[in-house]
Amino acid sequence: MKIKNILSAFIILLFFTKLYAQGPHLVKDKAWYIPDYVKMQFAGNIGVVSVGAGYQLFDKVLYSELLYGYVPESVSKADKIHLITIKNTFPVFRKEIAKNLTITPIAGFTTTIDIGTTTFTTLPSKYPDDYYVPTAFHFTLFGGVMIHKDFINSKMTNGVDFYVEMGTVETYLWYGITSKEVGLSDIFSTSIGINFYL
Amino acid sequence: MKFIKIIVLFTITLTFSNCDNLFEYSVYEANVKEADKNTTAKNIKLLENIKLESQDFKFAFITDVHYFYNNLRTVIEDINKRDDILFVIFGGDIADQALLKEFEIFSDIMQNLNKPYFTVIGNHDYNSNGSVIYKEMFGDYNYSFTFNNNKFVLFDDIIWESNKDPDFDWLSLELADNGNFNQVFAFAHIPIVVSDDLSFEMKETYRSIMIDNNVSLSIHGHTHSYFYEEGIVDYLIVPALKELAYGVIHVKDNLFNVEIIEL
Repeated sequence: MKIKNILSAFIILLFFTKLYAQGPHLVKDKAWYIPDYVKMQFAGNIGVVSVGAGYQLFDKVLYSELLYGYVPESVSKADKIHLITIKNTFPVFRKEIAKNLTITPIAGFTTTIDIGTTTFTTLPSKYPDDYYVPTAFHFTLFGGVMIHKDFINSKMTNGVDFYVEMGTVETYLWYGITSKEVGLSDIFSTSIGINFYL
Repeated sequence: MKFIKIIVLFTITLTFSNCDNLFEYSVYEANVKEADKNTTAKNIKLLENIKLESQDFKFAFITDVHYFYNNLRTVIEDINKRDDILFVIFGGDIADQALLKEFEIFSDIMQNLNKPYFTVIGNHDYNSNGSVIYKEMFGDYNYSFTFNNNKFVLFDDIIWESNKDPDFDWLSLELADNGNFNQVFAFAHIPIVVSDDLSFEMKETYRSIMIDNNVSLSIHGHTHSYFYEEGIVDYLIVPALKELAYGVIHVKDNLFNVEIIEL
């Protein structure tokens, strides 16, 4: 049920930012705070589904996004998991493979904070100093491929990115590097996602 | 059209990608694989198949793996070579951050052990969704088993992470039939010696339960270094797997002997 809500939120977000972005101005004149695109991702250790909005920064050298991700009880087999993520993606190069169609190898990292009750961002006072490091923060690293399609004269969107990534979490990567018992297939998983340009 | 073709191609590549975990949703997931469930019950079954004629056997105690996975494997391989050790008890801190991935790595390494093994929950195992994962993967936090007319009681004495007091009533009740057994051994992650994590009252309660029920030896981890206290009840702390070390307890009639193996 909750996944459905997130999808609705995503569509509403898409609709309203689109409305704002169009307004009475040309797209080029849009206010600085209007995102360049809205996005939705499946998996990748930042939620079953995560939705949010992003900016193309420094002349499209960096794609920076704020996302909310959710894992329902049926998947977590425990309480619902809520995650806030800042995702940074770097396009390595762009190659045009057809008219209005480019392919881009991508790499990047995310910073995720769990906003649930089972984790903590600062050590609760009942523990002696330095008993634990905070459990609510995690980082993921990923690499993949993104395909960008420009839509000219489309009322819905100016373009779409579709991407596939392989990624891991900082802790997993550390175990993979330091232990013979932990292999690459143990620590890497896949995620897919879409960006809609406004 | 070409755009759609590429998307289809990606989807196919994805489907055939041979990742163990194709999609992962959060580090906090508690979705324990079917094959990893009920480890305690499975090992109690394995132990039932071991029959002994004499009151003379050994078991090993290893503890606090956190992320020292190479050492865990080395110690497991050493224990495998010893036919005189009949089973292994793990003293808690299976995980470091209590992530499912850590529990899975532990479980995978323990698959290499050619003897039954039993776990007691550690403080690190309780964090995040760790307590849920532990329950699914191993079973009850407090439990006991018998072997060759000896009783082994495994006790959860984690307080801060679990937001509860140790269930001393359960412990007393579980030890009440001590007279029926040759010897009784108790296991808990946090020791009542060396460590000050448990309150003074809790330590005294534990100590008196041990004495009242004729426990031979109480074995712990948590502090990461060796400690031994002789008394009416003896207390043993075995070093963490940060060191290549484990304890061997030799049980013979009404006596026992402790040896620390350093590799």
